[in-house]
Amino acid sequence: MKKHKEIELMAPAGNFESLQAAIDNGADSVYFGVEQLNMRARASINFTMDDLSEISDRCSQKGIRTYLTLNTIIYDHDLSIVKTLLSKAKETNISAVIAMDQAVISIARSIGMEVHISTQINITNIETVKFYAMFADTIVLSRELSLRQVKKITEQIEIEQIKGPGGRLVEVEVFGHGALCMAVSGKCYMSLHAHNSSANRGACKQNCRKKYTVIDQETGFEMELDNEYIMSPKDLCTIDFLDQVADAGIKVLKIEGRGRAPEYVANVIRCYRDAIDSLANDTYDKEKVISWMQDLEKVYNRGFWNGYYLGQKLGEWSKEPGSHATQKKVYVGKGMHFFAKPSIGEFKVEAYDISVGDTILITGPTTGAQEMKIEEMFVNDEKGNLASKGDSVTIPLKFRVRPSDKLYKIVATEFAQV
Amino acid sequence: MVVITLQRAKCIGCNYCVEFAPEQFRMSKKDGKSVLLHSKEKKGFFTLKSPDDTILKNNMKAKEACPVKIISVKQK
Repeated sequence: MKKHKEIELMAPAGNFESLQAAIDNGADSVYFGVEQLNMRARASINFTMDDLSEISDRCSQKGIRTYLTLNTIIYDHDLSIVKTLLSKAKETNISAVIAMDQAVISIARSIGMEVHISTQINITNIETVKFYAMFADTIVLSRELSLRQVKKITEQIEIEQIKGPGGRLVEVEVFGHGALCMAVSGKCYMSLHAHNSSANRGACKQNCRKKYTVIDQETGFEMELDNEYIMSPKDLCTIDFLDQVADAGIKVLKIEGRGRAPEYVANVIRCYRDAIDSLANDTYDKEKVISWMQDLEKVYNRGFWNGYYLGQKLGEWSKEPGSHATQKKVYVGKGMHFFAKPSIGEFKVEAYDISVGDTILITGPTTGAQEMKIEEMFVNDEKGNLASKGDSVTIPLKFRVRPSDKLYKIVATEFAQV
Repeated sequence: MVVITLQRAKCIGCNYCVEFAPEQFRMSKKDGKSVLLHSKEKKGFFTLKSPDDTILKNNMKAKEACPVKIISVKQK
């Protein structure tokens, strides 16, 4: 029987909550942006340069590789901060930098930092792979390639023994799950033209996600469209054909979502970890796929499709705005105290009620995203079934919580099957 | 009088303000973010009060163009 080679599962980390969720749920590596020069510069919470050592420490303790994304276009006035960032990354033992601009590639190599080529470079053929192999050990291929095309490239790397500066065969990385862009490999100018807000400087306003009508200016006639979300692709999902993705010879599977919530990272990483492990021990089957799909649908998604991997002619477009998630979180209250010995967490209820039997989610920069079902609880020091606004509630937990943590209840959305 | 304020921490370094109002804005070579020249800082907000009303037009353009909306321009 054909054994699948080990695939590295790469998780997004937009903040410490998501980083911890990625670590706890089995990521092999994480990628993150620091300061303004990354594709999520607009996000309200971005890591700062001072966070690099903590990111590196938390991950290296668990043997997880860390990748700094520095993949926007770079102007002259950015060069100094690029140098500072890269030397700080090197100093704090960040594993590699994900780069697009040749300036970043060049500066990183000059200080001996490992380079990964960003999908923003849009690599679609073996000659370009060969070119960038002079500088990079991992290459992210264009998201618009089919698996057949990906496989040809990985086979050719093997045949021609194309090696990166690290002396190993160049590794190929592809996107496995998450949002897709309406433009080729994120090279989109729509947000720039409409809002002066460049996607290529990490400031995409996501105007492709809106509803549009198309009018012929000459006649004034409106084009009849089945779906007015003409530019909003569904989210990529590969878990149902991950065996084929693995057979294409890829080494790294990237999960998109630095702008997503920590429970999203926890859930998606858990599913793909299980899927990759199942491939490795030959237990990947239809039944498991169904259960993973149900889990993936619980968190933010715009509906799923297979991307371009299986050779679709055209994209599939979302039918409704926003998420199709079958579950959502509602805020309940905040963490107050943790009693370490009996492992009990105390929370103050500030909004929604919670009851025994509810599924809750606790998030925090150190806690990550922990989900569990309440089996018993104490309300204002007495055993109870329901806690309401103003109540103090204590719940036995299998993990540690902190005073800054937030407590949520998980409830079904209109997309849940009744 | 023209009062210009820049909430610097949120700058993504796109350079638009410098294109429109090079007399008031410059890109920092240190951290790649915009600098409002001759301004005073208070809690992360950099303010410049100028008696020269002729700078209003260019700075309004900079304000409109800013993708992260961190520039405010008022005439007093």
